[in-house]
Amino acid sequence: MLARSLIFLPFGLMAMLLWPHCGWAQPSQKETERTAELLATLLDAGRVVIERNQPLINDSQRGDKGFSPDVFERLVLDEFFRQTQIDLNWSASSLPLHAKDLLTLLLLASKEVVADAQFVINQRGIGYKNFIPATFGSQAARKFSKQSKVTIKQTTLDPRNLRNAPDAYEETVLRRLAHQPASTTPLVEWIDGGRLLRAMMPIYYSEDCLTCHGSPKGILDISGYPREGAQAGELAGAISIQIPVDHR
Amino acid sequence: MAAILLLQGCGLIYDAVTTIHPLTRDELSSICARERLRVGIAVEPFRPFVFPAVYTNEGIRVTGLDIELIREIAAALTSYCNSPTPIVATLHVTRFPDLFIKMNERQLDLFVSSVSGTVPGTRPAGLWFSAPYFRNDGIAAIIQRPEVAERVRAQFQKQSENRDTRVAVQEGFAGLTVAVQKGRSSHLYAEANLKRIRMVICDSLPAAIETKDPIIDVILSEHSILEYVTKRVWQDWHLVTHTDGAPLRLTHADLSIVTSDEHRPFQWFLNNLLFHLEESGRLTQMRTRWIDAEYAPTRRATAEGLPLEVAQVPDHYDQGQCRLAEGS
Repeated sequence: MLARSLIFLPFGLMAMLLWPHCGWAQPSQKETERTAELLATLLDAGRVVIERNQPLINDSQRGDKGFSPDVFERLVLDEFFRQTQIDLNWSASSLPLHAKDLLTLLLLASKEVVADAQFVINQRGIGYKNFIPATFGSQAARKFSKQSKVTIKQTTLDPRNLRNAPDAYEETVLRRLAHQPASTTPLVEWIDGGRLLRAMMPIYYSEDCLTCHGSPKGILDISGYPREGAQAGELAGAISIQIPVDHR
Repeated sequence: MAAILLLQGCGLIYDAVTTIHPLTRDELSSICARERLRVGIAVEPFRPFVFPAVYTNEGIRVTGLDIELIREIAAALTSYCNSPTPIVATLHVTRFPDLFIKMNERQLDLFVSSVSGTVPGTRPAGLWFSAPYFRNDGIAAIIQRPEVAERVRAQFQKQSENRDTRVAVQEGFAGLTVAVQKGRSSHLYAEANLKRIRMVICDSLPAAIETKDPIIDVILSEHSILEYVTKRVWQDWHLVTHTDGAPLRLTHADLSIVTSDEHRPFQWFLNNLLFHLEESGRLTQMRTRWIDAEYAPTRRATAEGLPLEVAQVPDHYDQGQCRLAEGS
């Protein structure tokens, strides 16, 4: 019996690899929209955790900061739960179809970024390290997008990093968002005859952001970029997500 | 016939030897075939030659004058190799003393860490130092506490009739606690010339700045590095000058690229490149960009920094400690 199981197990695995779509239905439009919203929230949660830990990350007196990928993961899951009331460890059943896989992939990509940055984070005698929400978010989004048909990007109208420059669609939405009251609800739209979902989750400047992005406008911040002269509550940019209908 | 019988295995032995150690291939050909230039840099930051690694939108990046030079070498190698794929410089980050070991173990093609080949004792056997890429540097001193600066100035004043800087420094620093970085030019200089100091050997310049036990009176290091850090990083430390305010240098030093003593064609390649960079004004331009200009290293790291070879990076950089030298 055991021998038969061992013979058939590889065939089962092979079948899964050869026909990965078998038994998987395409998610509904509503499920895809919910997935986009959750992905944006998870990336934002990572950004929030990096922002909150800036004093620790930039502590020049300490070598090993203990800000390991596992510690980061725990903090992100807590923040994600705070924002969504979803515990990613336990609430798989309440998530839209396929969302769990994508959220896991984004969490892994985010942890990988924190793992890669350990050398920089743990330098003693060095203060500012530029491991900030923007640089974390850029790398996490890029790592995730490389491994998925879903694309995540941070964008803004006046980007410091030109790779974050908005495309025509993003620019239009950002201009619209800049004149609307603040809201964390993503703007969601199906384009290309319903073949592509585009979602934009606005990000607003908090007081903490103003150290680098606030006033006086034009004066260089610690990383050498001119301050934007922003005020708390103003639109900073957005997390932009693209999910093709056949993303599985 | 006997000779044929005795020598019939020679080809195999030769093949085996060349497989293990490719004697016939020069370093340049190896780099071209590998499409990678393995460059060592010190983990201890030597601003403005190597700044501490920062995180950028592209990942971890390092920048500085040495890094700009490494980019020039990689670009020249790409042209030399005539390869469609650019030669990529991979940075092996290690503690300064280990650079020499790694170079001797052939783990690196070269290293650049603002080292001088003109100070006696800095050229270990088996290593070759290029023509200078940074001329007219030298060992200088910084002091933090005003009372120490005053004492040194008074001693210099006494010696003002005597035009010998070395004698003035020997008198001025006598009895003081002087920090140097292990294995660097300043360490060798102090050992040879400053017999009446209390020498403290530190793992890095930041360690010398931070240490409180013993209290450091004077720190010796390269003038270009001390000038940068006293202006931009540790502004409560000040360069020691002559009584007329002229910059004090304890000795001159030119900074070089280091590679293996065996790779003659590669040595010529490096010297010819440095000659060209000097002749074209590029070295002067690099010096101005990193020493004189106002800039933010983080932004330069984002725009032009090089990534680290992550597998070669220590778990975390600790700036180390200082300890009293034997006999001090």
